[in-house]
Amino acid sequence: MKKALVIILLAVLALPVLLPFLWTLSTSLKPLTEVNRYPPEWFSENMSLNPYGDMFFYLPFATYALNSLIVASAATILTLLVGSLAAFAFARFHFSGKQIFLLVFLLSQMLPGASVIIPLFQFLRDTGLYDTHIGLILVHTAVLLPFVIWLMYGFFLGIPGEVEDAALIDGCSRLGALRRVILPLALPGIGATALFAFLGSWSEFFFALILTSSDATRTIPVGIGLFVGEYQDVWNQMSAAAVLFSLPPLALFIIMRRTFVTGLSAGAIK
Amino acid sequence: MMNLHSLALCALVALSCTPKSDVVEIHDWNFGGMPKMIEFLRERVESFERTHPGVRVVQSQKSWNMIREILYADFSAGAGPDVINVHANYAAEFGGAGHYYPLNKFPDFEEVRSWYVPHFIESTMYKGNTYGLPCSAIAFVLVCNKELFDREGVVPPRTWSEFREVARRLTKDTDGDGVVDQYGLVLLGGDRGGFAYRLAPFMLKAGANILSDDMTKVEFNSPRAVAAVKLFADMYQVDHSITPGFLAYTLSEINDLFSSNKVAMSIEGPWFRALVKDKSPGKDLYAVPVPVPDDRIDQYDTAPTLQDMVMYSINAHSKHVNEAWELVKHLRNVESDMAWLSTDMGAIATTMGALNSPEAKNVRDLPMYINELKHARPWPSHPKIIAIANNVIAPYGQKAISGELSPQEAMDRAAEEAREIIEGKQ
Amino acid sequence: MRKSTPYLLLGPALLFTAFVLGYPLLQNLINSFRDVSLLRADSEWIGLRNYTQVFGDDLFWLTFRNTAVYAVVGTVFALLIGLGLAILLNMKIGRISNVAAALYTIPWVISPVVAGFAWKWLLNDNFGIVNYWLSSAGITRGGISWLGNPQTALLCVIVARVWQFYPFAMIMFLAGLQAIPREQYEAASVDGATAFRRFFHITLPNLRAITSVLLVLGVIWSFNDFNMVFVMTRGGPINASMVLPVLVREYSFVHFDLGRGSALSIIVFTLLLVLSVVYLRAASRREPT
Repeated sequence: MKKALVIILLAVLALPVLLPFLWTLSTSLKPLTEVNRYPPEWFSENMSLNPYGDMFFYLPFATYALNSLIVASAATILTLLVGSLAAFAFARFHFSGKQIFLLVFLLSQMLPGASVIIPLFQFLRDTGLYDTHIGLILVHTAVLLPFVIWLMYGFFLGIPGEVEDAALIDGCSRLGALRRVILPLALPGIGATALFAFLGSWSEFFFALILTSSDATRTIPVGIGLFVGEYQDVWNQMSAAAVLFSLPPLALFIIMRRTFVTGLSAGAIK
Repeated sequence: MMNLHSLALCALVALSCTPKSDVVEIHDWNFGGMPKMIEFLRERVESFERTHPGVRVVQSQKSWNMIREILYADFSAGAGPDVINVHANYAAEFGGAGHYYPLNKFPDFEEVRSWYVPHFIESTMYKGNTYGLPCSAIAFVLVCNKELFDREGVVPPRTWSEFREVARRLTKDTDGDGVVDQYGLVLLGGDRGGFAYRLAPFMLKAGANILSDDMTKVEFNSPRAVAAVKLFADMYQVDHSITPGFLAYTLSEINDLFSSNKVAMSIEGPWFRALVKDKSPGKDLYAVPVPVPDDRIDQYDTAPTLQDMVMYSINAHSKHVNEAWELVKHLRNVESDMAWLSTDMGAIATTMGALNSPEAKNVRDLPMYINELKHARPWPSHPKIIAIANNVIAPYGQKAISGELSPQEAMDRAAEEAREIIEGKQ
Repeated sequence: MRKSTPYLLLGPALLFTAFVLGYPLLQNLINSFRDVSLLRADSEWIGLRNYTQVFGDDLFWLTFRNTAVYAVVGTVFALLIGLGLAILLNMKIGRISNVAAALYTIPWVISPVVAGFAWKWLLNDNFGIVNYWLSSAGITRGGISWLGNPQTALLCVIVARVWQFYPFAMIMFLAGLQAIPREQYEAASVDGATAFRRFFHITLPNLRAITSVLLVLGVIWSFNDFNMVFVMTRGGPINASMVLPVLVREYSFVHFDLGRGSALSIIVFTLLLVLSVVYLRAASRREPT
């Protein structure tokens, strides 16, 4: 009985939660002439997948999608590489200045984008990295780094030292132990971290907005965000873009849900 | 581990390499534009590429309401496109700062200049140099929803009193549920640049100036100009005939409202008819001059409205100015211009060849626009005028209309800030 | 093992942080004392004038107030909702809780830009479904312009923020709930405690550390939240929903006054630094020594 009640409650609460997304989905299937109807309708007569195709004509969304994919993938790989090394150092070594360095990374996580954007803009401009893929990738990597280090630090701490010691006794070098023993154990943690990093870069808007400007480097969030409220709003195409944009993170999340939750719990409980 | 590392490194290096080619590539940024216009421009660019092998044009669409920020950010980075279409009043700011190429330097300029209505191409000049070829002439007018007007049995207003009265009558509850769902007037509040362009025509029709003729004094807080602001303030706060949500409205929302008969009037330019046609084919509207104050009714046909001009300019830092010039001429010759007449793209032709052609007589509202353009005045060509319009006149105008400040107070404070900007204190 | 190994491992990360975050922060500090403009190449030292201009600007105080309200109210409600849902999901109802958990996380997974866009469309005063339902239910008369009215704009942005952030809190709370040792509950039942007392005397105290971490993190992240507000309102109407990150962009890229933008961002950073110290205290309290 209590179980049924809880289920019903969950189902009811799910509606307002999903409403914005479902309404966007509904809008993305309508032709432009049926988008502005009052009273609003969930289903109009001529719904189709046309907006999903049309949107590639109005704005170069294929390019935007490719850019988002390139930047997010590269940034994820890079930040995992760099961050894992640093996290391993924190988790397994004692060295002077450790606390200070930890603090530095922790604090840089709190850094508002607003505090660095202007000099960063000037820096990228002066080094020729403004409006390039690399410029944005490097910035995303650095921005994601503190969070990645924090997460991976937690995971490495969660792996008992005995496992490693056993490998060392068997003759492995420290780094060899890292590669052969620890990494496999940390895989779920790496998976969760990779997901976070990818999501973070995929949906990043602020830096992408200011540090790129041409269509050749523009990412999807900027494409969507800038054209909201433009000269001619094509709400249905914009909705289609928003839906498509949400699919990769959603897919990734569904696939990796369990790793995701264990990842977060490890971080929370440490 | 090491392999991953080097793989990542290679990927990064690969991304940074771009192929070199012998083809000259010029970048054309198009600001704003409806789908039909964008398509037309693409075709036009293609025909250019066919007749100019060795030149490739990369077109991008950009957001009209962020035009200034984008341009400055890119110009300061030494980047930016080769060709752009912008407001003519950027000639003062960007041309004066050396960002636009003075077209009068090209050997065939005099001939090209003769294509255009003299007073149009004058508006792209600053301190003796011409910074753009006129693309589309704009005069701000009053558009009236034909269906709502006919239904109520009213005609488009000519004076401010009539304007207020008509707006009042057309604000009503149409379905009897006790809630007003139709409004007399809508204002473009969600776009700061656009908002100032809706206030200025009324100020100009009242005979007020924005700046003094020598551009040293601020005059938009004169009694006549403040009266224009007060007109809107009264309509909003007393008559409630202006849509309540106007502060967030963008052009597309105004289009939605107009097309669905929720609003009867708006202050717009030649684009509006095409915009509405795209959204609601068959929807008709009246386009008439902006109303004048009651005591100026005798000057109805000659009082100035706000003029704006879109022009094609060339980036002074471009590495391919000659090719850019060829492209600009191709996009702006009489042949291109004629397209404005044959399809409703919401642009008014600027070449004499097009305007004097037999087809011109058949275009709706063209005679009215041409008359308005004869007397219209653009924003003063001060380099800081855009900053003043967008960041001072617009916000204070909004405060006055919404009731946060009185019209006089708002305009006085705005004038104060504008003065500081002109004198370089900000 | 060489003594330099840890430093080598840390090296790349430090390099990145130094170049992309450290150096700009420093440059920002310098810029804030200069008259730097996006329009000119030169700049001159003007001491504290940028700061006095910012503190003397009414818009700054309005923005600060807006941001504080946005951060605190948004975070508190997100936490409340997250906790409530986590409790529901933690009850023994079988596999369906996994499905539900996934569904409830959607707002967070779909990114703030999409969230902002979706809410903007939902709240459209003439065609949005929210207005339609409200007026059909008789709660309001006619279409309210949620995003066009200075009185309601901030509220709407906060609602969108709560919607977007609660899943993060929910998942953290869920993990926290699942980590509470069974024995504590069993002991309490043996002692005859009601569900009510169990909640207040076992559940909540166990979640205290997570709650404080979530609160501080939520507030800090809210202060940095540019995306959603920018997409929904750009800070309008008439600055009713202007928040600090959007104001920095406005000073820098709309008014082209980089000096003032830098001063403002240093002010924000200092504020967050203080909050971060609070966070560190809260975090260290739960860390096993």
